[in-house]
Amino acid sequence: MKEFSFGSYYPENSFVHKMDARVKILLSIAYIVAVFLVKNNTWINYLGFVPCLLFVIIVAVVSKIPFIKVVKSIKTIIFFVILSALLQIFFNKSGTPLWKNGFITDKGLYNAGYIFLRIVLVVMGASLLTFTTSPVEIADGIESLLTPLKLIKFPVHEFALVMSIALRFIPTLLDETDRIIKAQTSRGADFNSGNIFKKAKALIPILIPLLISSFRRADELADAMDARCYAGSKNRTKYKKMKLSLRDLIGTLFTALLIVGVCFL
Amino acid sequence: MRIEVENLTFVYSEKSKSLQYKALDDISLTIEEGDFFGIVGETGSGKSTFVQHINGLIKTQKNCKKFTVGEFDLTDKKCDYKSLRSKVGMVFQYPEYQLFAETVFEDVEFGLKNFFPNLTQEERSEKVKQAIETVGLDFERVKNKSPFEMSGGQKRRVAIAGVIVTRPEVLVLDEPVAGLDPKGKLEFIKLLKRLHNDFVKTIIIVSHDMDLVAENCNKIAVLKKGKIVETGSPKEIFCQKNIVENSGLDLPLTAYLQRELEQNGIKLNSDLTVDNFVEEVKNYYCKIKGGK
Repeated sequence: MKEFSFGSYYPENSFVHKMDARVKILLSIAYIVAVFLVKNNTWINYLGFVPCLLFVIIVAVVSKIPFIKVVKSIKTIIFFVILSALLQIFFNKSGTPLWKNGFITDKGLYNAGYIFLRIVLVVMGASLLTFTTSPVEIADGIESLLTPLKLIKFPVHEFALVMSIALRFIPTLLDETDRIIKAQTSRGADFNSGNIFKKAKALIPILIPLLISSFRRADELADAMDARCYAGSKNRTKYKKMKLSLRDLIGTLFTALLIVGVCFL
Repeated sequence: MRIEVENLTFVYSEKSKSLQYKALDDISLTIEEGDFFGIVGETGSGKSTFVQHINGLIKTQKNCKKFTVGEFDLTDKKCDYKSLRSKVGMVFQYPEYQLFAETVFEDVEFGLKNFFPNLTQEERSEKVKQAIETVGLDFERVKNKSPFEMSGGQKRRVAIAGVIVTRPEVLVLDEPVAGLDPKGKLEFIKLLKRLHNDFVKTIIIVSHDMDLVAENCNKIAVLKKGKIVETGSPKEIFCQKNIVENSGLDLPLTAYLQRELEQNGIKLNSDLTVDNFVEEVKNYYCKIKGGK
């Protein structure tokens, strides 16, 4: 489990990695909007996906992330994607059947391909955000973007704190899980054989120690924060100040270009 | 069971260039049956990674030439890990954090149930009782207690009972005395010695506590940055100033005293156990007294 790096952050020293997290989050949203802007009428509209794909490829190249990694990011949702495509193929009754009395229509096929491309492109684009931005940066970025909500008394800082603590403890808990799994394995625990009930039962020796240690850690962290007089959001300063730079402008223009391109095709 | 290792290298996150980390670098080592073997070195020197190999918790990587524990060949993918683990017990750092069952009895029984599912209830009971008594707890009093309502030291004993209940021939302990009070530490060492005389043939101990290592181990391996710097008896290791200093080690008290005395012209030649050290001091004292 030590091989597991959280999320998918891929540390590199690139143009995209150095961009402001807030801008990257907003641009990712813009990209997703662009993918959804692709017109949906005839086969020729598929051309609208070309700029999106180009965008993903260019960003991947600029951020020095192997393109194969970006493609692999769809692995987790591939089942869902294929299922929705199949549903379109077999159950879409509109349009003309491809052959006499057949139940597969041209419209169904068209929609299936359309949905498939749409989801795959959205996921690849979103993965670029997590590849180039560390979880902590994303949390900070979201906090900063949510700041206006303070006006309606939404506890933005606390929300962000909860988020960053959760993110911070994922690797710790993974380490802990790894240790407990090893300890129980060396006592002969077997997590891979038997039916589903047996497997579920085999998890108890891991989950209970993990639960207990999470509570212990939460207590310790609360004490440590109290001991340093942590008092929430008022007048807190940041160690890493986020600053907009020329890079962010370039990135924004580039994304704008994509949206324009999609709208024209 | 004799443990033989040749050219063991282990790299974490082998596939990713940016996250790659070489924890063990070309390690060759033999641990004889009957050894009380100490593994020392600074944090991050690869001690834990190495000992986890012995139990098959970390699998050997391709370039390892030889890794055998008794009749088990760990470089072979088809190695029977379950039966290996029943013979090689492993006590992790802070073993009390692995307790999970509702009662002490159930927790200790866990390993037994996994390794020897064919035992009858009575046989199991008997073995659990033995294990709990071996670690110095009162079986009748603790068996139905929840492990979570016990004190830290007691929890650790329960956890160790859970490992020795299968009567392993080799016992690997990773930082076993961390967090114990002086009395607990002393009792723990006694327990280890008892086990070593009883059914555990080989004990391998990873520790930062040099006194513990010098007092008990007959052989020590010093690791630094994944490489073996030196192996030898405590005397051979701790009396070489450059090894101790270069590997970020501390001196056991006896070695420290011996060094200080030597600088003041008193040369002793003990094997660094307390008893032997006292003996040497006595001899020296008698010698000068007799000389007078």
